Amino acid sequence: MKKLAVIFLGLLAALPAGARIKLVALPDRDTTMIRLDNPAATVVEEERVLTLQKGLNQVDFSWKGVTIDQDSIRLAVLSPADKVQLLNVSYPPGEGALVWQLSCAEACNAKVRISYLLSGIDRLVTYTGTAEKDESKLDLESFLVLRNFSGEDFIDAQVRLDYGEPFSMSAKHEETRQRLFLSKTGLPIVKTFKWDAREKPWDPSRLDENVGIPVYYAIANTEAKGLGENALWDGKVRVFQKDGHGSTIFVGEDNPGFVPVGEDLEIRVGEGRDVVVTQRQKVNRQINIKRNSSNDIILYDNEELIETEVENFKDQPAVLVLTQYIPGEWTMREASLDYELKDHETLEFRVELKPKDKITLKMDFVRSNIRTRDLR
Amino acid sequence: MKKWTALALAACGFVLPALAGIDLVTLPERDSVQLTIYNSADLTLVREVRKLTLRKGLNKLSFGWANTLIDPTSLRLRAVDKPDAVKLLDVAYPPRINSQAVWNVQSEVEGEVLVEITFFTSGISWRAFYMATLSQDEKDMLLEGYVRVTNNSGEDYANAQTRMIVGVVNLIDEIADLARRKEPYGRPYPEVVMAAPMALRMSRAPNAMALAGAMDYAEEASPKEIVKEGLSEYFLYTIPGTETIPNQWSKRLPSFKPVRVPVVNLFRYDEERYGSTTMRLLFFKNDEKHHLGETPLPDGFFKVYRTADQQDHLSYEGATPIKYIPVEQEAELNLGAARGVKVEPKLMKIQTDQYLFNGTNGNISGYDQAEDWTLELNNYRDIPVRVEVFRRLRHPYVDEIKPKGELASFEKQDAQRVKFVVELSPNTEREITYRVVYHEGDRRERR
Repeated sequence: MKKLAVIFLGLLAALPAGARIKLVALPDRDTTMIRLDNPAATVVEEERVLTLQKGLNQVDFSWKGVTIDQDSIRLAVLSPADKVQLLNVSYPPGEGALVWQLSCAEACNAKVRISYLLSGIDRLVTYTGTAEKDESKLDLESFLVLRNFSGEDFIDAQVRLDYGEPFSMSAKHEETRQRLFLSKTGLPIVKTFKWDAREKPWDPSRLDENVGIPVYYAIANTEAKGLGENALWDGKVRVFQKDGHGSTIFVGEDNPGFVPVGEDLEIRVGEGRDVVVTQRQKVNRQINIKRNSSNDIILYDNEELIETEVENFKDQPAVLVLTQYIPGEWTMREASLDYELKDHETLEFRVELKPKDKITLKMDFVRSNIRTRDLR
Repeated sequence: MKKWTALALAACGFVLPALAGIDLVTLPERDSVQLTIYNSADLTLVREVRKLTLRKGLNKLSFGWANTLIDPTSLRLRAVDKPDAVKLLDVAYPPRINSQAVWNVQSEVEGEVLVEITFFTSGISWRAFYMATLSQDEKDMLLEGYVRVTNNSGEDYANAQTRMIVGVVNLIDEIADLARRKEPYGRPYPEVVMAAPMALRMSRAPNAMALAGAMDYAEEASPKEIVKEGLSEYFLYTIPGTETIPNQWSKRLPSFKPVRVPVVNLFRYDEERYGSTTMRLLFFKNDEKHHLGETPLPDGFFKVYRTADQQDHLSYEGATPIKYIPVEQEAELNLGAARGVKVEPKLMKIQTDQYLFNGTNGNISGYDQAEDWTLELNNYRDIPVRVEVFRRLRHPYVDEIKPKGELASFEKQDAQRVKFVVELSPNTEREITYRVVYHEGDRRERR
């Protein structure tokens, strides 16, 4: 059932309000293109041939049971572009419709493209990753999910993404269709554990529940690593792992954002409980104290020693990224491992752990000029 | 009764306006089924293999799952033996028909093709639990581990290869919520989550298959031993052979052979964690020395008994949940308040000196406060015990602490916490004393 109709009204005639005469129904649309490159809105383009007479012509475009952004409706004359001119557009009251007034230099069959933003139709992207048993590589498949709840049936529509060739797809109203559109094999995985001092408890041995450390797979969206042709759209990624017995296990899912070419697709798959981080503050002492005339402390430095013990109970090596925070002014007296300063208060340590390894990180630092009250 | 095995094949060339008028062909039962059950989430990966008879060209396969808890977004179909000749073109979820998908499959071959269908379901769960029986002298315990699989999925599973995953997966959506959605991927605008279908809440009488399944297990010559292997951050437990787990039934299986594990009886006093109660704990390590250590121990509930007499009568000691224990890590079983061991810290003396005065107004600006503490420890039991006492310091400005008395160890754990360890013989008491000198005010700067 068509909810959208284009009706040729013929030569301009005076149209009394509320009594519009719709004359001739034109042939069905030749082709319909659904463009899904923008997750916020779907553009539908349809091409039709209008039989125009010399002089002024009116073309009525109306819809029922669908929601079209009226201001988005455009008409483009594809051929003969130089002989047909769009003069104006009018919106009849109380209807989902508009009327184009076209001027034609001579009678012709004009090929036009009508485009508009249609509500209730969109796309999702989902991914399925299958990692090798040793987690060295991953096969990645991406699926387009077309959700059509627009009120309109689309049969053999040309669906276009922001890259690749368009493909034919049918989707009736209230139908959802899923189709594979990207398949890559053997993409290298970089696996890391990530522990954040502001998010994770420092002493898991004093808790009754397990403290897992988030585990991430990073897949580079670059040509050198087997991807990099296009950005990867945001969507749910489900990751499986081969079990060595011809089957797989599910290892987790994530909802990473849009990944431009050159960036990493980072997937949080689950939590590792065989790498344990225990952090303790061994020294926490005020020094260089300054007092006011009431003998209240107004300024001091604080010396601190933080010891972080990292144990890998696994039989495999592991890479752990430890994120530590030292707010305010500070000076590192000694750090037993190199770190990267991510911003003024965020330090990132990359710890390479051998199987059954145990490493202790020490940070001996002074936080300076801590004021107990503001200027008066 | 099968609920989601409404898999049907329609001949090529059909258009499916509303699936009306299609000559559906009911397919044979699934050839095999594998369940991979997670305990960190309500999630089971189901993998089934079926033999489909395909025609050359376009085939439409309809798959229905009414009144089950499967996640339609997880449905996948793959040709096992002829992957290059059988291609899945797309999947359609027809309008206004609930719980149904239509696979459009292009086949270059005619005849039987083995396909694998995978999907997630909720409603099947497993959990680990343990039973420990302490010897009379409490130096070791007989440890038995079990897993219990429960099927509330709405579907009977006959002869399923059953696997369990130990580990925590990251999940964005609950599978049960996805299963209840009216449309498989929702709508472009916000949707209303449907209530669970009534059918899923109805209990069902055990059917013939259920009883047969139970009997299968009873007829086993010996208990099955679960095969364990590590994969990524997970441990995969596979039950050898197949299991029949009818809907609403549970099945308990031993997860390892009973082992005798040496234990340390430990009593702990830590006001920060337990108030003024001394807690009883059992310690053992998940390693070879303790006759364990092959795989991690999954988190679960521990019930601890003790052999009470020569006739092996049992005394119930307590129950506790345990955390996941990696290989080589120590396990701690908290059995609750101790009855036979008492720890009492007593502040015996306070003494201040080293006063400092403010030069301008003459007020006190600093001093030292010495506190003499006594830890009174009593072991009323007829076995030796180890006692840990944690003490929190008010602040980190203290002199070095030198405890007196017979101690196994003493350690300053961090800037404000110290730990005493004492070994007590049966029916003994002991006193440990220590002095803490706190530096207050300006004394913190002048040491």
